[in-house]
Amino acid sequence: MAVIKVEHLSKKFGNHEVLKDIDFKIDQGEVVCVIGSSGSGKSTLLRCINLLEKKTSGNIFFLDEEIGGNQKQINQYRSKVGMVFQSFNLFNNMTVLENCMSGSIKVLKRSEEDAHNLAIKFLKKVGMAPYIHAKPSQLSGGQKQRVAIARALTMEPEVLLFDEPTSALDPEMVGDVLNVMKGLADEGLTMIIVTHEMAFARDVSTRTIFMDQGVIAENDVPSKLFSNPDNSRTKEFLTRFMLG
Amino acid sequence: MEKNLFEWISFLLQEYGQYFWQGTIVTVVISVLGTFLGFAGGFLIGIVQSTPVHDDDSSMKKIFYGFAKKLASVYIHIFRGTPMMVQAMTIYYGLRQNGVNITPFMAAIAVIMLNTGAYMAETVRGGIMSIEKGQFEGGMALGMSHFTIMFSVVLPQALKNITPEMGNLFITNLKMTSVLNVIGIAELYFVTKTAANTYYRYFESFLITGVIYFILCAIASWVLNIVEKKLEGDKDYELAAEYISE
Repeated sequence: MAVIKVEHLSKKFGNHEVLKDIDFKIDQGEVVCVIGSSGSGKSTLLRCINLLEKKTSGNIFFLDEEIGGNQKQINQYRSKVGMVFQSFNLFNNMTVLENCMSGSIKVLKRSEEDAHNLAIKFLKKVGMAPYIHAKPSQLSGGQKQRVAIARALTMEPEVLLFDEPTSALDPEMVGDVLNVMKGLADEGLTMIIVTHEMAFARDVSTRTIFMDQGVIAENDVPSKLFSNPDNSRTKEFLTRFMLG
Repeated sequence: MEKNLFEWISFLLQEYGQYFWQGTIVTVVISVLGTFLGFAGGFLIGIVQSTPVHDDDSSMKKIFYGFAKKLASVYIHIFRGTPMMVQAMTIYYGLRQNGVNITPFMAAIAVIMLNTGAYMAETVRGGIMSIEKGQFEGGMALGMSHFTIMFSVVLPQALKNITPEMGNLFITNLKMTSVLNVIGIAELYFVTKTAANTYYRYFESFLITGVIYFILCAIASWVLNIVEKKLEGDKDYELAAEYISE
């Protein structure tokens, strides 16, 4: 059973069609990296899956059930699908610990104690437990992103979506965040990762999707896609990337 | 022998000290009550105005918010677009002449509240709009409802941003209560006029009152400063030693 299945998804901003008839699915335990140049629709695809953008047409299924419905159902669905943003989006008014307890308490209605224990568990996993009393503004980008990952994990999601998680980071911080993500992949967490980190996509993903001008140009295992792509646009993109 | 300035002031304070004191109390009480009620109302309206309504929301919700937002906008326009003195006269005498037995004190608080509410609603709306979209999206991605995000994430941050403006509103109110003497409430300006009229010492009387207003505003600024510092929070944080691994 696919965790997420997307059928004929299309998204228009005004007259501009950002996503054109997208079809793909991701099974439990898969790590799918989505690559492609800026404006190819990668982030929009991710945001449509989590309903932060409203699709224009098509269907999205979560564990074989079509997503949508009323706000309550949408919120419930979102609580099972984690999202990590390029700009972290940690709550600025809360400490690291409060950030990681907020979803547990306000959404999942866990007890204070359970929420605390889970927050510590996942903060330890990302190496941020010593910083529980810090506010986001007191952390570096890489630290913020690791806290954001821990916050998403406290919801114990079925699938975790990453929207260019390292694009806003200083180069020396990228490694810390990618290591955390690699650890999660090794544990079998289902993930969709929009990224510009080609080496990471090649080494960690079970499947890589190359998007070009709103369509999925290629969807294959990384060993094939990175070394011998079928699509000439993929080849072009990869060449440019290696040079750049 | 003619008294000099200081002798007049000390004479007026002896004669009317108690009235000045009572006037000061009335001014403070109506400013504080009116302002805080206005803040509460302003928050409510600002929140309603910043609640997004989507195409696929229920028609009940659409109608409610459509109506509430229109109403709020009319209210804001009326109270920002007319002088407080005129509002006081209209509300106080409008109600009195139509058999509502409102006291000047109640009318004064109502006028300050309604005025503050109108300005505050816009301030709150601006405060909410100033919070980056990512804060909302961070909450949405966790499955939080709009109101959970509003109350636990956005408003605490917006409140911090608009504290200086709230301070402005309060200090303006402290001074603006003086116009309420037109409905016969014995606030500071009203008692000063009475004192001044008795001995025809306008300059001395109003000098006293000016100093009192100035001191009140200075105290208010000082308190607001403390509140702002409190909201700012600690600059430092402690590492949690128990989780530092060797």
